[in-house]
Amino acid sequence: MKEKIIGIDLGTTNSCVAILEGGKPEVMNNAEGERVTPSVVAFTDGGERLVGRLAKRQAITNPTNTIASIKRKMGTDHRVEISTDGKAATYTPEQISAMILQKMKEDAEAHLGGKVTKAVITVPAYFNDAQRQATKDAGKIAGLEVMRIINEPTAASLAYGLDKEDDQTILVYDLGGGTFDVSVLEIGEGVFDVLSTDGDTQLGGDDFDQRVIDWLADEFRKDTGIDLSSDPSAMQRLKDAAEAAKKELSSRMETTINLPYLTADAAGPKHLEKKLSRAKFEGMIDDLLQRTIRTVDGALREAKKTSDDIDQVVLVGGSTRIPKVQELISSRIPGKINREINPDEVVAAGAAIQAGVLSGEVDEIVLLDVTPLTLSIETLGSVATPLIERNTTIPTEKTKTFTTAEDSQPAVEIHVVQGERKMAADNKSLGKFQLTGIPPAPRGIPQIDVTFNIDADGILHVTAKDKATSKSASITIQDSSRLDDAEIERMRGEAEEHAEEDKKRSELAEVRNQADQLVYSAEKALSDLGEKVDGAKRSEIEDQIRRLREKLDGEADIAELRQGIEELSKASQEVAQQAYQQTQETGDASTSGEGEATSDEDDGDYIDAEYDEK
Amino acid sequence: MIDGEKKTENAQPMKAEPPATEEARSEPLEAQDLVDRIQRLQAEFENYKKRVARETGEREERAVDRFLLDVLPLHDGLQLAFENHNRDHDADAFVSGVERIFAHFEQILTGHGVAQIDAHGQVFDPALHEALMSLTSDQERNVIVEVFSPGYVRNGRTLRPSKVGVSQGPAQAPEEEE
Repeated sequence: MKEKIIGIDLGTTNSCVAILEGGKPEVMNNAEGERVTPSVVAFTDGGERLVGRLAKRQAITNPTNTIASIKRKMGTDHRVEISTDGKAATYTPEQISAMILQKMKEDAEAHLGGKVTKAVITVPAYFNDAQRQATKDAGKIAGLEVMRIINEPTAASLAYGLDKEDDQTILVYDLGGGTFDVSVLEIGEGVFDVLSTDGDTQLGGDDFDQRVIDWLADEFRKDTGIDLSSDPSAMQRLKDAAEAAKKELSSRMETTINLPYLTADAAGPKHLEKKLSRAKFEGMIDDLLQRTIRTVDGALREAKKTSDDIDQVVLVGGSTRIPKVQELISSRIPGKINREINPDEVVAAGAAIQAGVLSGEVDEIVLLDVTPLTLSIETLGSVATPLIERNTTIPTEKTKTFTTAEDSQPAVEIHVVQGERKMAADNKSLGKFQLTGIPPAPRGIPQIDVTFNIDADGILHVTAKDKATSKSASITIQDSSRLDDAEIERMRGEAEEHAEEDKKRSELAEVRNQADQLVYSAEKALSDLGEKVDGAKRSEIEDQIRRLREKLDGEADIAELRQGIEELSKASQEVAQQAYQQTQETGDASTSGEGEATSDEDDGDYIDAEYDEK
Repeated sequence: MIDGEKKTENAQPMKAEPPATEEARSEPLEAQDLVDRIQRLQAEFENYKKRVARETGEREERAVDRFLLDVLPLHDGLQLAFENHNRDHDADAFVSGVERIFAHFEQILTGHGVAQIDAHGQVFDPALHEALMSLTSDQERNVIVEVFSPGYVRNGRTLRPSKVGVSQGPAQAPEEEE
């Protein structure tokens, strides 16, 4: 096992650490159970050093010994003066950054259960040599060998695999908690070239929150005449509510901010309840967003590119979740917008990928394909019974046991279909074959193993084997995974569209199978029991069998069938009970029905039996 | 309907078992066999991960469901309290009803291992408390003198820190500024 290299996004506001696991970047939780760690360091009386969430919580009581946004000071002569317990100490920005890195390292070690000594760390594209060197030194102080310093926009592009596409121009729009960066990159032969960077070091999600806080405080003053600004508790509640409202408006058109007992005056308690629509929120922050777009234009100009030259846009930072941000960018730049990866984690994910490349892990991993659609066989009632679900990684093999639907059925047909629909006919037929020569046996007795085996090239081998005779038949399907994306999309879309009716149809098929099975076993019971069933009872059951059969032959719906099933099973249960008692009394063990229990699950044609293990 | 290259045959299963004592087995085939085995193992691991991820998601959903089932009676109770109050305008009955609902709520929280954080008069601890303000007081420095909202711990973890005001100690020389 090679030593793992971690990827660290050392941010101004928050930091994040990730690692490549099985070829995929995974973000590691910190000791507090969070995926990102505030980039805050504090020194307390008593000589304790706090990093992250805890440092942030005590910042107000310990402002002079709490350091935030140290990243802004990297590569400068700035010194951090600390005074705890009357003792003074001086730290460089590298040392403070190292404390953050050390926490990231320790949290990663706790997560991985082993030592971590190597890391890839990201920096803004505009960092100069001194700033990069300072970052590297910070890593060294933290006990990390910094294998590489990479640019944040490059890391984000790596996370989207854009290094695999040649001659692309990429714009990375990074709107974080407190900083905004735009970078224009060019990729050729796997190498990223930064054409330009621009940004605003004092603009981010916190500014959006502030706009909402200001609005809420303003409205509250208008309604009640009370100024909340000197009430820290109320202001904290406004801040939390503003942030929550902002997040909610990314998925909803309107939200209600509800803060009961926010404050009180002589007349009694005062509550705050305000509706905020997405449109209103967008109006509040419009000037800030327009500013980011002007910065985008500036970066394009500097890179000597026009918006039409941009092939890919990569969104980074939590604030890019705001729909208006995406809307503004896509109306400004026609390139493809990449935003599937969590924007808070995408830089760390990219750093982890770079780390995986350096450790050789990426080369060793053979990325395996997945089956784009479910592979099934057709069973009684034209139901598609899945053997391999979609999104299963291949190569893989799966066996299920089926049986016959008729007495003395000499052959079964294996019809292989592909798709998400419940009924076989609605899916794509891949091929069919027969397994013949099944020895005569009552239905439900033969056991036929059907095995789907997909090799690494996506070639599907289907084998059906009669367990009794070991006789088998098979088919090879070459193109089970060679569908183009459009076709896969179409088939998945159709399945969603028809989900409701498909469900009804498969339910009907299931009930029909159940009815069929019951008719069969009731008839069998009558003939097995023979004289033991008295005449009246026998004709009653025969009558019910006849009626249920008529329903099966006709167009009876689920409810009618269920009713018939209920009636018949009640009547035949009585008979079975009666016969069973007689058998016990007489010690007659001659009825060799071999476990012919009426199972509700039986599918018929080749009945889907319980186990599916090879 | 596209059928790939299709052949129906009555033959042995496609995948050959490792041969028992076949001396003349060529090496490249052996390597191919190993690659196939590794790939299958890797694919199996991938599928296992997918299954675990799906099951974890389902379990989380169920856990939320179970908790909601615990708290829904509170919602029912409040609804009844309002209905009664709107009908009878009996403020005392309303308050005593709400008190019972509140007691039930506390019982649910206790049942889930939730406990309130003791903050007032305690020494500030960022693992349990979040400072919203710092103020001069008769109390010693770092002692919590005001609790704005209570915090909660659950099974040793801080669910939510108490939001507090912390003493700077008695007013004296002005704090040094950064």
